[in-house]
Amino acid sequence: MGAAVAMEPPVAAAVVDDQELIAAALAGRPDAFGELVGRYERAVYNLAVRTLRDRTEAEDAAQEAFFKAYRALNTFRPGAKFSTWIFTICYRGCCDRLAKRKRFSGDELPDSADPAAGPAQLAERHDEAQRLRRAIDELPEKYRTVITLYHLQGKQYEEIATVLNLPLGTVKTHLFRAKDLLRKALTT
Amino acid sequence: MIDDDTLDRAISSLPLEEPPAGLHGRIMAATVYRPRSATLGWEVWLMATLVAVAGWLSWLILSVPRDSERLADAIGRLIDAGGLTSLNTLIWLAVGISAAWWLSQLTIPARRRIESR
Repeated sequence: MGAAVAMEPPVAAAVVDDQELIAAALAGRPDAFGELVGRYERAVYNLAVRTLRDRTEAEDAAQEAFFKAYRALNTFRPGAKFSTWIFTICYRGCCDRLAKRKRFSGDELPDSADPAAGPAQLAERHDEAQRLRRAIDELPEKYRTVITLYHLQGKQYEEIATVLNLPLGTVKTHLFRAKDLLRKALTT
Repeated sequence: MIDDDTLDRAISSLPLEEPPAGLHGRIMAATVYRPRSATLGWEVWLMATLVAVAGWLSWLILSVPRDSERLADAIGRLIDAGGLTSLNTLIWLAVGISAAWWLSQLTIPARRRIESR
């Protein structure tokens, strides 16, 4: 049995499709789940950072999202997109954290919008990208998440609606308002 | 005022933040490499329920005067009724248990499959 396991090729080399990776992970191949984590950890972490605006908490939220996904992997619906599923789990976890934060402190925001800002980052503050990033960070949570999912993760309206559990029309409205707020923030 | 396309391009070109170096390892340690618990969840619940019921029964018996004596008498009567105080019964019981254990240790060879040619 051990020899049979050793004979199997590395899953990442043989498999490229998420569905096949999930099937391999369910069959007990740890490298298959590792490949899935490698594909989505950056996106999931960025979604958590943008939603929570706290890097330490975002790291915990990303880890928790993958943990929940791993435990519920056998309930994953074949044909669904893993990215949408993991973003949904991550977003719900972030919402729970924001709700707790509001309950305990009465404030959604951490002390600073960018606590890790060092001298180099402060020097770049006038840079366009930095300004845009800060403008996104200052958006209300519902607009910030829509912008993050639509642009930073390359998502479609339908997938955003699934992740956020919102009607399609609401997603479009949020995106329109978010862009409007960003334009105003960047013009002033 | 920035137009829609310019804003779209600016947002799309924003680089994603790199996750912390140890995140991948932490996720893997919490998922596929997580050591399995020695007991299952339902086993813990069952044990806790049994302990709670035992505790409740003990409290019930001890809280009523002379109930513990009555319980001891009842158990004694049950042992007598089952013949467990008789030496013969105990010997037969020991023989039965050891025979059952000995039979369980036997490895009976599987019958060879007759293949039709």
